[in-house]
Formats: sequence, structure tokens, C-alpha cells
Amino acid sequence: MKKFLAVVKREYIQRVRAKMFIVSTILLPLVMSLFGIVPAVILSIDAGSPMRVAVVDQTGKMYGQLNQAIFNETSGQEASTNENANERRSFGGRGFGNFVLEEVSSENQSAEQIRTDLERRLRAKELDGYVILPPDFLAHGQAEFFNRNPGDVISRRMLQSALNRAVREQRLIEAQVDTRTRQELFQPVELQAVKIGAAGQERDSGGSFALVFGIGFVMYLAILMYGQVVLGAVIEEKETRIAEILFSSVKPFALMMGKLVGVSLVALTQLAIWGMAFSAFALYGVGLLASRGMRASIPSIPFSHYIYFALFFLLGYFVYATIYALVGSMVTTAQEGGQLAMPIILILVISFYLFFPVSRSPDSTFSFWVSIIPFSAPVAMLVRIVTQTPPFWQIALSLLIGFGSVLVIMWIASRVYRVGMLMYGKRASIPEALRWARQA
Amino acid sequence: MAASEITVKLDRVSKSFGEFTAVKELSLAVRAGRVFGLLGPNGAGKTTTIRMIVNITGPDSGSISLFGRKIDPQLQDRIGYLPEERGLYRRMKVVDQLRFFAELKNVRGKGVEAKIDEWLARVKLSEWKNKRSMELSKGMQQKIQFITSVIHDPDLLILDEPFSGLDPLNVELLKEIVLDLKRAGKTIIFSTHQMEVAEKICDDICLINRSEKVFEGSLRDIKSSFGRNSVAVRCEGGDGVLDDPALVSKLVRHADEAQALLAEGADAQTLLKQLIDSGAVIGKFEMVEPSLNDIFIAKVTESA
Repeated sequence: MKKFLAVVKREYIQRVRAKMFIVSTILLPLVMSLFGIVPAVILSIDAGSPMRVAVVDQTGKMYGQLNQAIFNETSGQEASTNENANERRSFGGRGFGNFVLEEVSSENQSAEQIRTDLERRLRAKELDGYVILPPDFLAHGQAEFFNRNPGDVISRRMLQSALNRAVREQRLIEAQVDTRTRQELFQPVELQAVKIGAAGQERDSGGSFALVFGIGFVMYLAILMYGQVVLGAVIEEKETRIAEILFSSVKPFALMMGKLVGVSLVALTQLAIWGMAFSAFALYGVGLLASRGMRASIPSIPFSHYIYFALFFLLGYFVYATIYALVGSMVTTAQEGGQLAMPIILILVISFYLFFPVSRSPDSTFSFWVSIIPFSAPVAMLVRIVTQTPPFWQIALSLLIGFGSVLVIMWIASRVYRVGMLMYGKRASIPEALRWARQA
Repeated sequence: MAASEITVKLDRVSKSFGEFTAVKELSLAVRAGRVFGLLGPNGAGKTTTIRMIVNITGPDSGSISLFGRKIDPQLQDRIGYLPEERGLYRRMKVVDQLRFFAELKNVRGKGVEAKIDEWLARVKLSEWKNKRSMELSKGMQQKIQFITSVIHDPDLLILDEPFSGLDPLNVELLKEIVLDLKRAGKTIIFSTHQMEVAEKICDDICLINRSEKVFEGSLRDIKSSFGRNSVAVRCEGGDGVLDDPALVSKLVRHADEAQALLAEGADAQTLLKQLIDSGAVIGKFEMVEPSLNDIFIAKVTESA
């Protein structure tokens, strides 16, 4: 036991002290937020000059509706009223893919003339495009959009959707539907999820759902980052040829467990640092919102659920980390290990997606089994807990089988590791690894 | 510890890996307070034998006892092992590594610090204490590796090719340390295929070849059993005589002298007489013991 702790201590201190750890702890959140910010910045770059579009309205009724619809589209509003239209306009101008429309009168000119004229203006770059709404547009809904840059899919889609809305509106007007009825017709619905608990009480489970999803995601992230580290830690003694010295002092199982626990503590340390930074940030944000009169609600989740969250998070992390350790015990270099570890990610992704079928029918036989199988249990069982909490024995069984298999996998890994070392750096195939595990 | 005490005893130990037999029916006894040479060519089974002694792997059959007991994890802490396959954590400071290896032998606390300083001074690496091992030269690393095997003051020290790759100065340094440890009552198992080194420090030897023991005993006994049938000669002329297969079965020329192994039935007197008769000017003519190397080659060829 003392030797096991010595291994844990070494793994932990060496890693936490390393520059890499400090740099990645600080840098990763920065990089992540950059990933969030940069695309938004890039998408908004285009906003400088709006697209100038001429509208040839041969129906004579559509221009006004279209202008209103375009405006609503770019300001992201479904229903609009006239009172705050001006205020909205200033917002709309800043959105991406916005338009400046110009009505081209179709009176006294033949269609040919108008088109030639518009083509000329298009070439002279006075215009970016033009739309022709034929006289039967309201009936057939077919129009043409000529523009210099047919690759600009976003603009085309926005224009199309604005036309859609305009046509719908106009048709309703023509069907003599009054303004109030029209507004009521487009009033969106709101669907509130209400959970029926065992005691009949009602509770919002949306928040817990998001939390489970978040936990699954953090688990996924932790495994992606630290699986390789576990793999590297197991291979370290092979690459530096220390394994034999260690094995004359410490049992392979204690060594492997020591490595796993040591690296995992490093992972938890890093996650805790991020978690605290994030909560401080979030609390500050909530405080800020509250001071401006907005209320952010924290989902009400029973205390027992937090314990389950922690337990199943650890379970998920350890199940996958041990697989990495097993891979590490079979290979001789980190590169080989990286290749062999690919399927692990696949299993991880699949079990993450089980989130959806399980959340739809949490008490089905399928859900029961996937919440018992160690690979999928962490996410699946948490989903079940927040939806229709299963009987306690099922939760306990899932944890028992999960942590039991962690120990079994580590035991196999340590056997494979030891025999592999005796074989002088030969890489084990899977049948060989199994045979080695059985050998004394 | 009395000299007659047995520290390590192997009784008809066998070990095979699949089809390959690494060690076959090997019995040997390592006496306490002596340097025991486990000798043999590459692939003879030396390393497997040692691994069974330190409990890294178990024998298929036969029994091994250490300090009069069956091997267990507690006993492992009384062994210091320097394997042939060895290394250091590259990014770890020398002092941290040594402390870690001591902890793995259940040695911790204040005393360790003093021990580390003492050993670093002894191998003349004190100023490297706080350097990472990747900054050390190969020879320095090897000396640190040696310390890892003795830092916990083991009663049994097992060294597998400890001097390979070291310069003569450092070989001398470590050899002195090994002999000091022996004087302090430690038992040392020394495995090598370098006979010159073994000859200088071993009290007892066991020669194994192709998984089997060829012979075992004290170096003294083995040498005398071979008899003095070798002559060191320094002379000018007389080449024809030394090349005569009826007199000399094997001739090894060094820089300024030659070593002649007498042919069967020939004696040194006849050789000397013939040399004088041939008009050679003799600077040196001395009966010498066979070197361990000669014995090794003779025995291995004989057993093959």
C-alpha cells in the first residue's frame, strides 16, 4: 500500500509540477473561448456593406411587404410592431447578410428595357443583384434572383425566406384577415416540460438534463485529454527501461493502479481549477445580470443527484482511462498506442449518443441494459436518474459492475504488462495479451 | 552473518517461455558475505535466473529460497537489483528519483536524505543532485542507477552487467564500492559475460550455458583444478617453436609478449629447451594460471 502511494505521489507531483500542466491549465480555456469567439467574429466581418438589391415588383403589391419582411429577418424578429421599428432598424443594419432594397418601377417600361438597365447597373457595381417578381407571383410563388455572386448562399436563403413571409402576409391580407388575427396566427407556442415525480410533485427537469449533458461532455473532454496521458504513463517505464527495476520492488498491479490514480488526480486537479474559475465567472455573471434586474434561475436538483453525478462521472472517466492503460500495457511506444486507442474514442462517442434514445424511454429494457454496461452506464444511468429515477438497486448494480470492471481491466493490464516486459519489448496482439494475462 | 550461511538457494529450478527453455534444472547456492559470479554467454539464462531470484517471475518447477525463507514481498525489500535493462526517469531530478526508489523499498524519512548525499559523494556526483537525469552523461546515469540498487542498504545485491559501457576509471570506482559492500557483510550476485572483471572480484562462480549449469564452485578451486598449463613468454626469435602444434595448442600474442597454452603431453621444460636451442633470446618465461576467460571458453566448447 505504501509503495502504491509512492507511485501515486510520483505520478502526481511530477505531472503537476511540469510546465506543460501549468501552461495547459491556463491556455486551454483561452483556446476554447477563442473557438467560441473567432467564428462569430469572422461571420460578422461581412456586415460592413449591405447587399444592394433592386426589386422589380410587377405585382405592384409586394415591395412594401418584402421590405418589412427583410427588415424583420435581419433583426431576427418574428412578429413586429410599428412602434419600435426604428429602433430595430439600427439593430438590423448590424446583422450579417443584410439588404438595402430599392424599388424599380415597372410602369412605362418593357421587361426587356428594365433588365438591360439593371444589367448595366450590375456591371457598373451600382447594384449587387436584382429580383424580378412576375405579375402572377402571388399565385405561383416563383421569382428570379440575379446576382453577381451566386455562391452567396446565405443571402439567397435570407431573401427567399423574407419573400416567403411577405407572400404569406399578402395572401392573408387578400383573404381579408385583419391585422390582429394575423398576429395571433403567428404567435409561437411555448411548451413547458413538467416532470411527474414519484410523490406526484412537479419539477422542472430541463436544468438537470442540461447538467447531465454537460457532465457527459466534460467526461468526454477529460478522457480525450487524459486517456493519452494514462497511456503515456504506462509506457514511460518501458521506454525508459525502468520497468524491471520497479518490478523488483513493487507488484505490477500496485504500479498500474498507482499510475492510473496518480494521473487521474492530475486530471481532477485541472478540472477542479477550471470548474472553480468557471463558477466564479458564472457567479459574477449571474450577479451582474441580477443587478440589472434580470433573473437567472439555478435548476433545483435534489442533493442525492449531485452525489450520483460525481460517482458516475468518476466511473465514466475510470472505465475509459483503464482501457487506455490496457492498451499501454500491450504496446511498446506511444505512437503504437495512439493507433490502438482509436476504437476507444469510437465507443465513447457511441455511448455518448445513447443519451438520446435513453432520454426518450428511460424505463425500457434497452435503457436498463445500457445503464448497466460499464461503457455506456455513466451517461445512460444519469439520464435515467434525472428522468425517471430507477430503483436504487439498479444504480448500485451499475456502479458495482462499473468499478468492478475497472479493477478487472487493471488486473489484466498489469499481467499483460509484466509478461510483455519479460518478452523484451514485443508488442502483444490481442490473443497474445489474453494468453499472457492467464500465464503466471 | 557467518560465511557458511546460504543467502540464496536454488533447487532444480526450471523456467520456459512457450517452447523455449530459459533455465533447466538449475541448482546453486550463494554463500553469505561473498561475491558470487553468475557467468555465461549471452542468452544462457542468467537474466531469467536473476528475475526468478528477485521474484519478478516464478519458476515453472523447483524451489528458490532467500535468507532461508521462501521469497515474499517483504524479502524483496532486502534485495538491491540492478538489471541489465535499466534506465532513469528522464525529466526527474536525480534526488527525486533516488528518493522514489528508496520509497519503493519502504525506506523513507530523514535518513534517506543523508544516504542520498553520502552515495552521491561516493560516486562523485554531488553537484548533479538537483539536475534532471536527461542532463547527465551516460556514465553518470549508470552510476545513479547503481545507487538506486543500494540506496536502501540491501543485504543481497544483484548486479547484472553493472560495468558495461563504463570507462575504466568508473569501473574501478564501482568495483571498489562492490568490494566495500562485501567487506560490510553483504552478499553480492554478479552476472556478466566479461570474464576479466569477474575474475577480479568474484569469490565463487557458477557458469551456465544453454540454460544449464556447467559448473559451480570457488574461483580458487576451479583455477587449480585446471592446473598450470599456460606459459607467458617474451622472446625474440623462436617463432617456429611457439607455432609447433605438438608443443603449443593455442598461442595468443599480446603487444610485447605471448601466452601459450601447452599442448597435451607437452611440458614447459621441453618448450623452454626448444626455444633456447632455436636461438631465441628469452626475456620472460613464466608458468601462469589459466585465465577465467580460458576456462570459460574451454568449458563452453566442451559442453557444446
